[in-house]
Amino acid sequence: MAAEPTQQFALLEAQAQVLMTVFTKAGHEAVAPAIIQPANVFLDVIGESLRARTYVFTDPDGAELCLRPDLTVPACRLHIARNGDPATSAKYCYNGPAFRFQPQDADETHPREFRQAGIECFGDTQGERAEAETIALILKALEAAGLKNWTLQIGDLGLFRSVLNAVQMPERWQKRLSDAFWRPDAFRAELKRLTTAPGAAALPAELMAALTPGDVAQTANAIQAYLDAKGIEVIGTRTVEEMAEHLLDVAADLSATPLDAKSARLIDSYVRVKGTALGAGQTIGKLLAGSKGGTGAALDTYDRRLALLANAGIPLDRVRFSAEFGRNLEYYTGLVFEVQAPGLDADSPVAGGGRYDGLIRAAGAGVDVPAVGGAIHTERLLSVLSRGAA
Amino acid sequence: MSKLTLAIPSKGRLMEQTTEMFARGGLTVSKVGHARGYRGGIQGLPGVDVAYVSSSEIAAALKSGSVHMGITGEDLVRESMSDADTRLQFLGKLGFGYADVVVAVPAWWLDVATIGDLEAASLPFRRAHGRWPRVATKYINLTRRFFASKGFGDYRIVESLGATEGTCSSGTAELIVDITTTGETLRANGLKILDDGVILKSEANLLASNAAAWTPELERVRDRIARAMEKAP
Repeated sequence: MAAEPTQQFALLEAQAQVLMTVFTKAGHEAVAPAIIQPANVFLDVIGESLRARTYVFTDPDGAELCLRPDLTVPACRLHIARNGDPATSAKYCYNGPAFRFQPQDADETHPREFRQAGIECFGDTQGERAEAETIALILKALEAAGLKNWTLQIGDLGLFRSVLNAVQMPERWQKRLSDAFWRPDAFRAELKRLTTAPGAAALPAELMAALTPGDVAQTANAIQAYLDAKGIEVIGTRTVEEMAEHLLDVAADLSATPLDAKSARLIDSYVRVKGTALGAGQTIGKLLAGSKGGTGAALDTYDRRLALLANAGIPLDRVRFSAEFGRNLEYYTGLVFEVQAPGLDADSPVAGGGRYDGLIRAAGAGVDVPAVGGAIHTERLLSVLSRGAA
Repeated sequence: MSKLTLAIPSKGRLMEQTTEMFARGGLTVSKVGHARGYRGGIQGLPGVDVAYVSSSEIAAALKSGSVHMGITGEDLVRESMSDADTRLQFLGKLGFGYADVVVAVPAWWLDVATIGDLEAASLPFRRAHGRWPRVATKYINLTRRFFASKGFGDYRIVESLGATEGTCSSGTAELIVDITTTGETLRANGLKILDDGVILKSEANLLASNAAAWTPELERVRDRIARAMEKAP
């Protein structure tokens, strides 16, 4: 990769100052999280697939480290290190390098080394209001830097869960569909399984007969006795209780009535909803109007979010919604957003963020803490602005 | 005249079986100079230099083109390059050095028989333990590619350079990817192979490097060696 031209450096520095001024004026404290991070936090949170995109290395002491692939997890760790109580509310902003492996030679919009300018809001208790404020502040910073023709793409994993709640099905199925949401193929397969043969597991009848529905401890004893009789030793860190819980789910599925076709269609249709934010709201309303659980909380949440965005000064005709959006971003738990700019393809947003209430726990705090934030890909922003496409 | 460099495993059963195979094909491979040395030749083929190299390094030497030809296991070749078919010529499977690269889990996991089951078990495991299940292996690239092809990403690799079968009972990994021939060692360590968990059925292969410097003359030597191995009983 070519060395960074001096002019590019000066332009990025000047742009960063504009962005950081907007952030700090809004009450975000400027911080500089460490560039070198323990690899396991990232790998545990995002999974092994991240390793293929991250520069992971071993230091002379044998510790597995990485060059941070983003600044959100490092900001979470900084927050935990600074506060005895991780639920302490704090607003941070940052501008600094992040590193991601690029399979081909890095191009202008996919450099392997790039600077992120972003904000984090930890421990807020305002829910959707904090999300709207985060989006509004990111857009304000982009506009201050000179970007005019942006579009905002949003998705909402909370809304997906509300839709699942509107359908009558066992809680374990809701959990499984939520878990599978991240992988479209697995999701479709699971939905199909639930509508046809939910309990098609090939397990020994003798074992299944020994389970006690609703009693994990009793079931674990029965499994242990079965294993002892067969001379199979229990090894490793997974426990017999964990398997007991799973087998009880399997047993429950064996006698369960399959998910009705209408509910399956509702879920499938919801996942396909895509369009302007206002139009999508109407589509979701129509979908849920026919469901057993009624429109309920799901649509209220959606409408409240749009109202909050409008209150924050965001023109709703520039907001697009996609139910599927966020599927490849595993650590988000609620709202997900991306800002698209002219001249960049859909895979290269100029900014993005959302809600990740589980991230501070995963970064080592041991408790869930409300967290919402967003970051700007500053090289992309500069490239859009300098091409005059803004 | 430039010579063709042929890399042969430098020790163990693979070296013996390679030498025997050449002999059956009518080619006598022998060391030059000291018996503990690492250079050799083939009787009647003065254009060939034999280099005795550790089998894992043969793949790297073929990839870079520092040797023209080599004999090593397909598992080691596929592990060290994702695009082996464009970098190397596969001139023949040799019928020895059999090893299956497999995914194995504790035999007592009665609810896990396929990669799909493993995926279903990963999320509850993470909820209970705060991390993804760990896969101990020396085949990091094969593992990553295989799981990616199955759409499974909820795991962590821990590198294991020996006694991989023991990592589950010692608690350093939840499952393994390793080679097996009869499955006996896996069974003895309380493990079972997943129904769809065979990543690669490997054996020793005769290989030529596309990155090496070839001349029409060297290509004739290559074809002569390949024919000899093909007709070896």
